[in-house]
Amino acid sequence: MHIQAGARTDLGRVRKNNEDCYAIDPSLQLYVLSDGMGGQAHGEVASNLAVQTVLTHCRQAENSRATPIFGESSPDVSERTNRLASAIHLANRKVFETAASNPEQQGMGATIVAAWVESQRLSIAHVGDSRAYLLRGGSMEQLTADHSLVAEKVRVGILTPQEADASEMQSVLTRAVGTMSSVEVDTDEQVLLVGDFLLLCSDGLTRMVTDPEIASTLLTSGSAQESAERLVDLANENGGVDNVSVIVLHVVDKRESFFKRLKIWKRNSG
Amino acid sequence: MSRLVLRFEGALLKEVPLGTRPITIGRAPDNDIPIDNLAVSNYHARVYVEAGSLVVEDLNSLNGSFLNDIRVERAMLKDGDTILIGKHEILVDQTHDVALIADELRRAPAPRVNETMILDTEERRKLLEMAAASGERSQLSPERLLVPTLTVLSGRTDQKEYRIAGKLTVIGHSKMATVRLRGWFTPEVAAQINKHEDGYYLGRGDQVPKINGVSIQGLTKLNDGDMIEVGRVRLNFLFRE
Repeated sequence: MHIQAGARTDLGRVRKNNEDCYAIDPSLQLYVLSDGMGGQAHGEVASNLAVQTVLTHCRQAENSRATPIFGESSPDVSERTNRLASAIHLANRKVFETAASNPEQQGMGATIVAAWVESQRLSIAHVGDSRAYLLRGGSMEQLTADHSLVAEKVRVGILTPQEADASEMQSVLTRAVGTMSSVEVDTDEQVLLVGDFLLLCSDGLTRMVTDPEIASTLLTSGSAQESAERLVDLANENGGVDNVSVIVLHVVDKRESFFKRLKIWKRNSG
Repeated sequence: MSRLVLRFEGALLKEVPLGTRPITIGRAPDNDIPIDNLAVSNYHARVYVEAGSLVVEDLNSLNGSFLNDIRVERAMLKDGDTILIGKHEILVDQTHDVALIADELRRAPAPRVNETMILDTEERRKLLEMAAASGERSQLSPERLLVPTLTVLSGRTDQKEYRIAGKLTVIGHSKMATVRLRGWFTPEVAAQINKHEDGYYLGRGDQVPKINGVSIQGLTKLNDGDMIEVGRVRLNFLFRE
């Protein structure tokens, strides 16, 4: 099993700065995406700090098992998933402390969604309304539950999904990284199968592009990178109201990728 | 702008626009919506915005407040709801709304609604309480003390019964499988069970499992007593004490 990754972040058509941010560590198979908030350039500070903290913490943990765990570990998920959650707890603390010591950065924060793959096992952790989707065998499922006012109201049953989509309250989050001294992190686990697509994205994508459009783009692109670029283009064509970021992972058979590489090698050498 | 419309036997009596201030309803003349009827208490009920939602609250009235014919002490309102007080109806009209709720939330530093912002602690606490209250009614709660199990009915596995613990349960030949399938040509991951907030879901692996004889299409929620077939292995999904 092999993972092809593609990613892209874009300003969109309306905003003046890009508060989104993502990072990929191919050797760790760690993928992190964040959408910052908090006026001026502070959203960028928050999302960058959050992403870098997650990356650094996971790398450290990979090198030393003695790396401390932040936040509470859950017996329901694997050590690795708990580590990913720990990284987000630490990111929360760092963003919160940075904001607390710089009065002009008061209230800055970020969403985060992170995926970590170890052999076939996928760990997901998130805070806020950035999402993870799994497209498997033609059906696409949202793996994350948005921590937004409208989404929580839909879950409680006082708003229909249609009302939520039309609501002007969509930007109100119920959880974010760095806005409070501690944060609750949601986690999930899946076994990845050959053929799966995993999509991490900021709300700039999901507000502009429908789920069926997303699914068909993933299924009809030639590569993960092409998918990522086409998704961002679609968001912009549909208005590009917010920053847009996507990370696309495609799980392929090792052999297939070997033959593909062989083909490319042949083409290049012939 | 949203409003409350007071009606009596079909006739429109009064319209009151909703702002950030609570609207009081009762027999006393100083109410925002006074109703001169002996069945109505002096200060009978009030309507206000809380955590971005419109709420009606009965003020310990003698004859009660009814929302869509159900007696309520406190309830969330949505567009089109009817509050019944005595024989008077109060219709909730939020068709031109959003401004109201936006105002309420705009106390946060970010002034624009399309700017991402975080709900303040107090509003978040209320929302969580609401969510907790509804969670008590969710499907999982009656089974809270019950443990989900898989009992092997036929086929080769490493145990005869499994307790499902954790968010992910793998069925297959793989080392990470909880339910280890034995034998030749057994897939590494034959199927998987994911724990969600509202229950347990069966998903495919390298094979498509069946529930009660029918191949699943996408993630499928498991019910107590379901028969799962993965290749030649048959498992019974049961909640046990």
